[in-house]
Amino acid sequence: MMWRDVGVTLILSLILPVVAQGARHTPPGKPKLTSCRSPDKETFTCWWEAGSDGGRPTTYSLFYHKENSETVYECPDYHTAGANSCFFSKNETSIWVNYNITVVATNALGNNFSDPVDVDVVYIVQPHTPENVTVGVLEDEDGPFLRVSWEPPSKADTRSGWITLIYELRVKLEEAEEWEEHRAGQQKMFNIFSLHSGGVYMVQVRCKPDHGFWSEWSTASYVIVPDYIPRERSMWILIAVFSAFIFLILTWIITLNRSSVKHCLLPPVPGPKIKGFDQQLLKKGKPEEVFNSLVVQSFPPRSTDYEDLLVEYLEVYVNEKQELMPEGKDLQDVGCLKSKSQSDNDSGRGSCDSHTLLMEKCGGVESKDESSYEEPELLQGQAGSWERLERGDSQVVDTPDSSDGRVKTWPLVFSPSIHGSSDNHHYGTLEMPKQHSTSEITYSVPDHLFPTSTSFPHHHHPEYRDSLGEYSEYRCSRSPSTGVAYHWEARHPTQAHSNFNIRNLERQKEATGLGLPPSRSMEYVEVQKVNQENQLVLKPLSSHGRGPFQVQFGRAGVDYSKVNGVNNDNVLLLQRQREMAEAGQYCNYREKEGAEAERYPTQQQGKTTKDGPVATQLQESTCLTTSGYVDTAPTMPTF
Amino acid sequence: VIYNSRGFIIVYVLWGLCLQPNTVRSDKLHSLSTSLNKDLDSHFPPMGRVMMPRPSMCHTSSLQIPKDKEASENELISLARSLLLAWNDPLLLLSSEAPTLPHPSNGDISSKIRELQDYSKSLGDGLDILVNKTSAMKRPPAEFNFHFLMSCFRRDSHKIDSFLKVLRCRATKMRPETC
Repeated sequence: MMWRDVGVTLILSLILPVVAQGARHTPPGKPKLTSCRSPDKETFTCWWEAGSDGGRPTTYSLFYHKENSETVYECPDYHTAGANSCFFSKNETSIWVNYNITVVATNALGNNFSDPVDVDVVYIVQPHTPENVTVGVLEDEDGPFLRVSWEPPSKADTRSGWITLIYELRVKLEEAEEWEEHRAGQQKMFNIFSLHSGGVYMVQVRCKPDHGFWSEWSTASYVIVPDYIPRERSMWILIAVFSAFIFLILTWIITLNRSSVKHCLLPPVPGPKIKGFDQQLLKKGKPEEVFNSLVVQSFPPRSTDYEDLLVEYLEVYVNEKQELMPEGKDLQDVGCLKSKSQSDNDSGRGSCDSHTLLMEKCGGVESKDESSYEEPELLQGQAGSWERLERGDSQVVDTPDSSDGRVKTWPLVFSPSIHGSSDNHHYGTLEMPKQHSTSEITYSVPDHLFPTSTSFPHHHHPEYRDSLGEYSEYRCSRSPSTGVAYHWEARHPTQAHSNFNIRNLERQKEATGLGLPPSRSMEYVEVQKVNQENQLVLKPLSSHGRGPFQVQFGRAGVDYSKVNGVNNDNVLLLQRQREMAEAGQYCNYREKEGAEAERYPTQQQGKTTKDGPVATQLQESTCLTTSGYVDTAPTMPTF
Repeated sequence: VIYNSRGFIIVYVLWGLCLQPNTVRSDKLHSLSTSLNKDLDSHFPPMGRVMMPRPSMCHTSSLQIPKDKEASENELISLARSLLLAWNDPLLLLSSEAPTLPHPSNGDISSKIRELQDYSKSLGDGLDILVNKTSAMKRPPAEFNFHFLMSCFRRDSHKIDSFLKVLRCRATKMRPETC
């Protein structure tokens, strides 16, 4: 029973409230003030929302009191602003005064107060929307644009400055998603540019007091932008077309003149003018050989080389029989000779030139001769020639007889001519290839050539030619090298160094088998003359003040030619000697005549000082040392 | 104000020119104080009856505002200036109190008050040029509630701003677009 009672009570207590819910009347729910706003800073309106009405008709009333005052007033106007609103007119509105506002909901069962709200009118200003928004399409030079203008809301007193409004507008194409907003400040007009022709635009404006809330957006104004071609765009189109046209014309012109344009823009790269560089060799694909040919013992030019360099060309008269002639002629023609003849006393410009010229020509010749060379590499450079010389070592000398009237020009021969004006006349004989018959051949006499040349007599013409060619090439290759030649030239402008008295030599039937050692450190010897026996009388250049000359030699790497000996015919047997170290061994030099030889050693010495290792002095009968100079001065080998 | 018709206008024009920068300052002054109050409101309970002991009013409340907006220029300008002057000392007080304020961003508050002082000073200097009338100094408030005081300042700065803008509008009648 008890259980039953409890259960019933429980059920009833659960059910009843639910049932009673619908039928019960309660005091109204709590209202809530939603907002108060003043459109003009002179009046304001408050709105509230009702809570539940509790099932009974409920009335709402608003009460307020101003700050620091207890007097409660009720809302003066519930209707002007609509339902659930209270409008405070100008008379009831005090600015800079806090209002404390409360709304009360009342029904038969009770009432309910809302939470109070403090309001200062000046802080709740929200104007109405701007009025008379007009949008027009105007034209200017850049195209059409929109001009939007409006007026402030009528209620807001902006004329006296009581309310200061700032404006904002927004624009978009009708079909666009996003608005484009613009601040207009206090102005009442705004221009919008960059329109899409033919588009329909929507424009809206709103405003805000300096310290207040934004108004609502004005109703949208629609405007249609007439079609137009943007002048700017058309101008760009014109420019583009014009440029394309010009571009086509230019292309056409360039195409017509392809080659000349190419020549202009990409000038042909001059080929390498490296002495001793053999392009053919390179083409053959033997770079090592090419480089080897460059890296000749003769480079850096040793003293003997300098001599060679200084020596321009030794004109050698060659017998008609000699195949050399052609070569010589070539050389002559080339104008290698030209340098010699000029006894210009200037700084040897001519000779320099000639050297160069000779070089070039010789280069040409060389290449021509190349094939005939046994070792093409040698041809290319001094190095080559050195090597060549080496080969020729054994052949040194003699055989002047063999050469039919070939004149072998030996470096030694040349050297003497290098120095001194006094040599001139020596040279004079030698030089002037021009003066000579065309058969003269000028050689630049690198030392090392000598050995080779010595072999000439033993060889047939081709060899000779080769050797000559070698010489020539040697010359060519040599002369431009370094300043040695130059320097030398300067001193002996008249002599084209190499202008040995070939003429003298000419007379000889045999090539002067000067076994001049190919030694690098050249000691130049002048050929004084060719004596009756067809001997070249050589005079060491040192006697003529070889000093500076020597210096040059000294600096060269030394290529020493060693004189193996002098044969009975007073031919110096030169042996190619490259190493300076070995130079000392070559003291086979025997001077045949003359004190010059003696001088030579001195010179040699002088030279050697420059170049340390070179040294060994050349004593009278000793051969040149490192410098490889063979003092053949006194001895003129008879060839 | 020169009571010569032409001179009147001239003075007006000049006055208008002088007023413009001052309105800028007053506008800025009020904006700053508003943001300051918002900072305070966020942390402290909103000012209301509960907080405020009654009666309590701003110390400048005795300065009577014009009855309506048709008040004369003199009245407006002198009132604006008086209000500004009345806040020199209280601002000092507020500035010294700000660092110790139990507020999370009292550093910001401090710097804003300093800014307020700067603007107040420059505005005061600007107004002094326009008015050479001395006004009665108002005593700073006896009781001191930071939040309350700031709210008073906010209001007064709004007053100053409004007055100056009314004056500016009147002074530039030639260019009504400035209003």
